[in-house]
Amino acid sequence: MRDFVVRRVRRSMLFLAFAVVVVNVWSGSAVILRAATDPPSDPAGIATGDKSAAVDGAGNAFVVSEPTDKADPDYPAKKKAFDEYQAEAMREPLAVKLADSVGHVRIATNAAWTLNTGYLVLFMQAGFALLTCGLVRRKNAAHLMMLNFAAYVFAFLAYYAVGFAFQFGAVAINAAPANIGGTPTLNGFLIGGGQWGFLGGKGFFLSGPAYDAGSNVLTLFQVVFMETAGYIIVGAICERITFWAFILCELFVGAILYPVFGCWVWGGGWMSQLGSTMQLGHGYVDFAGSTVVHAVGGFCAMALAVILGPRTGKYGQDGTPTAFPAHNIVFVVTGTFILLFGWMGFNPGSTLGATDLRIGVVAINTNLAAVAGSATAMVLWYFMFGKPDISMACNGMLAGLVAITAPCAFVGPNAAVMIGIIAGAIVCFGVLFNDRVLKVDDPCGAISVHGFCGWFGAVAVGIFADGTYGAGWNGVGATTYLGVAGKGVTGLLHGDTTQFLLQLGGATLCAVYAFGLTFIVFKAVNAIRSMRVSQEAELEGLDVPEFGMLAYPEDEGLPA
Amino acid sequence: MKLITSIIRPNKVDEVKDALGKLGLSGMTVTEVRGHGKQKGHTAIYRGQEYEVSLLPKMAVEIVVPDGRVDEMVNAISLAARTGEIGDGRVFVMPVHQSYRIRTGELEHD
Repeated sequence: MRDFVVRRVRRSMLFLAFAVVVVNVWSGSAVILRAATDPPSDPAGIATGDKSAAVDGAGNAFVVSEPTDKADPDYPAKKKAFDEYQAEAMREPLAVKLADSVGHVRIATNAAWTLNTGYLVLFMQAGFALLTCGLVRRKNAAHLMMLNFAAYVFAFLAYYAVGFAFQFGAVAINAAPANIGGTPTLNGFLIGGGQWGFLGGKGFFLSGPAYDAGSNVLTLFQVVFMETAGYIIVGAICERITFWAFILCELFVGAILYPVFGCWVWGGGWMSQLGSTMQLGHGYVDFAGSTVVHAVGGFCAMALAVILGPRTGKYGQDGTPTAFPAHNIVFVVTGTFILLFGWMGFNPGSTLGATDLRIGVVAINTNLAAVAGSATAMVLWYFMFGKPDISMACNGMLAGLVAITAPCAFVGPNAAVMIGIIAGAIVCFGVLFNDRVLKVDDPCGAISVHGFCGWFGAVAVGIFADGTYGAGWNGVGATTYLGVAGKGVTGLLHGDTTQFLLQLGGATLCAVYAFGLTFIVFKAVNAIRSMRVSQEAELEGLDVPEFGMLAYPEDEGLPA
Repeated sequence: MKLITSIIRPNKVDEVKDALGKLGLSGMTVTEVRGHGKQKGHTAIYRGQEYEVSLLPKMAVEIVVPDGRVDEMVNAISLAARTGEIGDGRVFVMPVHQSYRIRTGELEHD
């Protein structure tokens, strides 16, 4: 009893110290990170979106801006267009005022779209919690649900504190999200600069430059993406990790692992700019995060699963795996459907705008890959084991979804089905490979679904992209690409080899980065203090040893 | 008096109950149980890995009847619970010394 009280006091003190540090840094950061030359932020959202945001479907602006480069051969034509616009604007001031409204409504439409699709992505948390809870054993159900819940809580706080600034602190330099106002205040790299940025540096604690209506739309959408990477790891490390170690993992993912790679690809960092700097396709392209979100989560999960080792009893003396059957298939299937539903926010929402009508294609591609992946997993399992496995059918659907996430905007429906079929096969063989060859214990198949299929998704952009979308992506080929006007991101099958090579290299770098950094950090943590629960706790089930309560109290006194 | 305990398939409980009801039986107790007989369960498969399910779910039906009615009750239970396949279950008959009604405290006789 005395020990219990001492432990509790010590825990409270640690928490208090943490809170004090947070408050201090927060109050200081608002002052430190706001230089006098920065554009002002717009917390009220009334200055975001004016006539400069009024554009037509192809992105042609209503306002013609004044050309500055007199050496440009097109200078006379541009100057003429500018002069004509000025003259017309003088004649029709009411039209210019109306354009201010049109521009504001355009940004508002896109903000509403981005926020609402973000809420769909948020709901994926519930889907994943159900899916993974159903897949584990009954005796660990409460522990598993608490991991999913705490993942959201702690990773969110880490992302708020530093993650968002690391990832998007320089987004306005190379990758301004024009659809939601361009977030002009997020304009500084902490490490690197220009087209070789490695880490963003504006917007710590969402203060100063990140206390902005347009920027916060981006924050909400991106934080739920980070949470996705955050909960992926649960699937591979559950049933044996201690709660404190898990919280450390979540802080690590939300503050460092996810934002760094995210900055390189989505924050205007060096990988996104390789099209301009090294003439490699359109730079590294990952539309909605097959690698940025899923492969990062999947390979982080793999490193943690290797460090933790398999669950007690998973492998016999001779190394043959034992089945630990799912305790609730109803949860598994329901959770998978919720994830599919949430993915309708994940992929179409990644346009950051409803005014980009490609969202229709994106939504259809996403569904096609999902059903193709699931069908493939059912058929393959039927031929290999005589019956389709329900949990693998669900994994197959998620595999298709993960793989289509990067290419969803750049391919047509037939390519989406192909991608789904390949992903469905990858996840089946990946699960068996991890289970029987590598002997990495992954209770929910997270490594195969998110790691292997995430890697494949980014490579699939380099294979299947058909050039119909993404003209000017990452600042490459705004007028013509491969000699064709308006040609967008293009893959190997449509004639762009450099894009394929970059996708292959970039996706592999992602896997090595996520696995390597996680392995180094948590191998050290594990050496200081074991991240694994005691053998007795594991055999009893983690619900009572870790949280003092059972998921199903009617099980009290029953053998586990 | 005799106690008749039948271990039957879960999906046969309703048929057994109806059959006994037709014979005018007034009370019964049903319990979810697990167990195995000669065959010792069966194998299942999860994510490509076979495993043994050795203790199968069954239902235990307990009734108390006068000595003279044991045979017809056992017959009714056997007929209702039978599928002809392995795993139909068992019926046990045991003597009962006394039986009391809790509400009144009265001792019941045959």
